[in-house]
Amino acid sequence: MDTLLASIARPPPATTAFIEVRFSQLLARPLIVRGELEHLRGGALIRNVTEPFKERTEIDGDRVSVEREGKPPRYFSLQSIPGLAGLLGGFAAVLGGSRAAVEQDFNLALQGDTAHWRLELRPKSPRQSRYVHDIAIYGRDAAPRCIVVTPPDRSPEIMLVESAARTELPSPPTLQWLRQFCDSGGA
Amino acid sequence: MSRGGQAALSIAWVGITALLGLYVQRNLVVSGDLRLFMPKPATAVERLLLQEVGESPASRLLLVSLQGASPQVLAASSQAFALALRADPLFKAVANGADSVAAVPDKLLPYRYLLSTTLDSARFDTDFLRAQLEERLQDLSSPMAGVLEPWIARDPTLEFLKLAEQWQPAHQAQRRYDVWFDRRGTSALLMVATQAAAFDPDGQEIAAAALREHFAATRAAPRVTLTVSGPGAFSMMMKHRTQDQIAWLGTVDSLSMVLLLIVAYRSLRIVLLAALPLASAGVAGLAVVSALFGQVHGITLAFGFTLLGVAQDYPIHLLSHRRAGASALATARSVWPTLATGVISTCIAYLAFLCSGVIGLEQLACFTIVGLAVAGLTTRYLMPRLVPAKERDYGESAWLGRLWSRIIALPRPGWLAVAVALGCVTVLISGHAPLWQNDLGQLTPIPKNLTDQDERLREELGAADIRRLLVVDGGSADEVVAATEALSPKLDALVRRGDIASYESVARYLPSAGVQLRRQAALPDARTLEASLAAAVAGLPFKADLFVPFLEDVARARALPPLTGQMLTATPLQLRIDSLLLHRVRHWTGLITLSGVRDIPALEELAAQSGGVLTLLDLKQASEDLVAHQRVRILWSLAIAALLLLVTIGLALRSVRRMLRVVAPMALTTLIILATLHAARAPMNLFHLIALVLAAGLGVDYALFFEAVEEDPAEQRRTLHAVLVCSVSTFMVFGFLALSTLPVLRAIGVTVSLGVLANFAWALLLTRRPAHA
Repeated sequence: MDTLLASIARPPPATTAFIEVRFSQLLARPLIVRGELEHLRGGALIRNVTEPFKERTEIDGDRVSVEREGKPPRYFSLQSIPGLAGLLGGFAAVLGGSRAAVEQDFNLALQGDTAHWRLELRPKSPRQSRYVHDIAIYGRDAAPRCIVVTPPDRSPEIMLVESAARTELPSPPTLQWLRQFCDSGGA
Repeated sequence: MSRGGQAALSIAWVGITALLGLYVQRNLVVSGDLRLFMPKPATAVERLLLQEVGESPASRLLLVSLQGASPQVLAASSQAFALALRADPLFKAVANGADSVAAVPDKLLPYRYLLSTTLDSARFDTDFLRAQLEERLQDLSSPMAGVLEPWIARDPTLEFLKLAEQWQPAHQAQRRYDVWFDRRGTSALLMVATQAAAFDPDGQEIAAAALREHFAATRAAPRVTLTVSGPGAFSMMMKHRTQDQIAWLGTVDSLSMVLLLIVAYRSLRIVLLAALPLASAGVAGLAVVSALFGQVHGITLAFGFTLLGVAQDYPIHLLSHRRAGASALATARSVWPTLATGVISTCIAYLAFLCSGVIGLEQLACFTIVGLAVAGLTTRYLMPRLVPAKERDYGESAWLGRLWSRIIALPRPGWLAVAVALGCVTVLISGHAPLWQNDLGQLTPIPKNLTDQDERLREELGAADIRRLLVVDGGSADEVVAATEALSPKLDALVRRGDIASYESVARYLPSAGVQLRRQAALPDARTLEASLAAAVAGLPFKADLFVPFLEDVARARALPPLTGQMLTATPLQLRIDSLLLHRVRHWTGLITLSGVRDIPALEELAAQSGGVLTLLDLKQASEDLVAHQRVRILWSLAIAALLLLVTIGLALRSVRRMLRVVAPMALTTLIILATLHAARAPMNLFHLIALVLAAGLGVDYALFFEAVEEDPAEQRRTLHAVLVCSVSTFMVFGFLALSTLPVLRAIGVTVSLGVLANFAWALLLTRRPAHA
C-alpha cells in the first residue's frame, strides 16, 4: 500500500482535467461538468469548470471563493460547508503520498493488484461520517482514474481524472455504467 | 430604683427590643438590587440608562469560556453544557455556536418571501425563475451541493439562504467542531442569558451556582476549566468581596470597642448596658424602614449601622459625666440639653438625604434618624435607671486634671483657624484633579485583569460596543421597526465611510408591516406562478412536479399576516429581537447597537437630523450626568440642612457667638477633609458625602460638650473623659475601615477618621470656654 500511495502522490503544483458526474434525486438525468483541477504550491486548490458553464472555485486555507461568469465572486468559510474540510483533508493527504497522514483521519483498505486497484478511505470520526460514507479511488498502475465520493444519504458523485477525463460518456451515463467503468480500471 | 424594679426594667427593655427584632426578622426583605441606590431618573435618557443598566438582555449576558483540554474535548463539553443549561429555567437563552439562527420552525418558513429583499427589485416571472433554476443546476455540481440540495424543491430562489446570510452577525466567533472557539482555538465560547437581572446579586448568585453545577456534571474531562465573565458575574463577585470585608471589619471593630469600653469603665455590666441603646436604635430603625419601605438594601444596612455609630457616644457621655454620690438619673438630666442638641442637629443633617431622590439614601436617612432618636431617648430615660451606683468619679482623675490644665494653657489660635481655612480653600481652588468622581464604576472597581478578559471575550464573540448606542422611540413595535428601517440607508452610509465598523438593529431581522405587505403584493397568484415556472423549467433536467412545495409556500405567503416580534418567540431569533426591541409601559424602544465607533460627531449629526426620533445614548456620559445631577440635589439638601443646623444650635444655645464657636470646628474640619482628599487626588463620591455628614455630626457633638463645660474643674475632667472615649472609639472603628481595599469602605473610613481627629483638635482649640483667671 505504501508503494501505491507513493506512486499516486501528486505533489504541487499539479494539474489534471476532470469530468464530474453527479446524480441527484432532484434530477431526471445526471449533471455532467468538465474542467480542470489545480493543486498549487502553498496548498490552494482550484476547480475550474469550463463546460457546460464557467465557474472557478478556489479553496485557500479556510477561504472559499466561487466565481461564476457574469457574477461578482462569492466568499465563504470552509467551515461553513459541512464535511468539505474533511473531504479535502483526505484528498490533500492522498496527493501528498503519506500513508500516516491519510490514516490519521481515515481507515484505509486496498483491493485488487498493482495494475488494477481500488483504494477505499472511510472517515474515522463519527462527525465526518455524517457527511461522507466513503471515498473510493480507482486506478491502474500509478494512475488514479476514478474518484467516487459516497455520502451516507445521497447518490454518489463520480469524478474521472487524468487519462479517464478524456472518456466519451454514454448519454445519459448511468450509475451502473460508471461503476463498471471504474471497476474495470477505466478500460 | 429598687433592684427588683431594675430587673423588671431590664427584662422589659431587652424583651421589647427582642420582640421588635423578631418583627424585623419576619418582615424585613433585604434586597440586593443596586438600582435602589441609583437616583430617580429625571430625563428620558436617564430613564433609558437605568433600564439599560439593570434590565436589558445585554446586561444579563454571561460570557463563558471553557479551556484546558483539546478542542474536540472542549467542543463536546460545550455541547453537553449548553444542553443542560437550556433545560434549566434559570437561563433565558444559551448560545454556543452550534445552533444556527436559521433554525426557524417550519410553519414560519413561508415568511421568507415577506422578509427577503428579493421582491423589492425582482418579480417571480419566467425570466427570473429560469435564471435562478440554471444557477441551481450549477449549485448542484458545486461543493455547496450537499447544503443546498434539500432546499431546492421548496426554495428554488434560495430566499432562506439569503435571509440566513443577512442574519449572520457582522462579526462572530469562529466555529470549530460545530461550536464557537476563540481565535487561538484554545477555548470554547458560550453566551448565556440569565433570567435574573445583572443588578440582582442574589438572583445572579443562584444562577452562577447552577451554572457551575451543570458545568461540573457535563464536562467531558476533569481538566476542562470554566471562566465566567459579564456584568452579573462581576456584581456577584463584588458583593462577596464587600461582605467578606464588612464581616471581618465588623468583628475587629466590635471586639476593640468592647475592649476600649472595659478599659474606660472597668465593668462588664456597664459595657453591656452601654450596648443597649445602640441595639434598640438599630432594631427600631430597621422596624420603621421595613414598615415604610417594605424592603431594605443590603448597603443601607451596612452603612446605616456605620452611621449609627454616633449613637454609641450617647451612653458614653452619660457614663463619663456621672458624679460620685449623684444618681445617674441626675447626670442624665444635666447632660440632656447638650446631648439632645447633638441628637437633633445630627438628625437634621440626615434629613438632607430624605430628599435626595435616591431610595437607598432615603432608607438610610430614615433608619439613621429613627435610630439616633431612639438611642438618645433610651440613654436619657431608660439607661440611667439601670446604671449601678458610682464609686469612681472621672472628675477626680488626676491625669485628666493634668491634661485639662495643659489644654487650658494652650493658646486659642483664632488666626490659625483662619490661616488653615484659607490654605484649604487655596488647595481646593488651585488643584487640577477632578473634585468629584462621576464614574459609577469606580465605586466598586473590578480588577483590571477581569475587565481585560471581559473585553477580549466580548470581542471574540462579536458583542457590541457597550458604551454607545442609538435609541429609537415609538408608540408601537411596528412604528419603531419602521423608523429603524428608514434609518438603515443612512447607517449603511456611515459603515461605508468607516465612521462605524458595523451596526445591528431590529430592521435586520424584522421588516416593518408596510414593507412586508408590499412584498406580499408582489407575489404572483398561483396560476400565474405555475405558468411562469412551467416555462422556466422547460428543457432543464429537474424532475417533473419537483417544485410543488415552492408553489405551496408562495400560496401560503400570499395569505400571511405580517410577521411580528411575538411570533418569533422560542426561535433562535428571539434573543436577538428581544435585545433590540424593548417593550416599555405604553411605548416601545428600539436599540441600534454599534461596533467600531470611530466618528462620534457623525452619529450625533444623524441623531440631530432625525427630528427627535433617534437619540445617541452614551451610557458612560449619561451615567456620569446622572451622578452629577444627583449630587447637585444632595448638595442643595445639605446646604439647607446646614442652615437648619445653625438655626437649631443657635436656638438651643440662645447666642450667635456660642453657636459660631460650636460650628467652627465642624466647618474647619469639613474644609480640611475636602482639601486633604483633593490634594491626595482622590475625587469625592457619594459615600464621601455621607461620611462628611457623619463627621460633621460627631464634630457638633464634641463641640457642644466642650462648649457646655462649666467652671467646675471636675465637670471639665468628666467632659474630657467622655469626649476622649468617644473620639478614640470612633477613630478606631473608622480607622479599620480606612484600611479596607474596597474604595467605598475606604472612602468612609478615611473621611470619618480624619474628621474625628480634626474635630477633636479644633473643638479643644476653638470651642472650650475662655479660661477665667
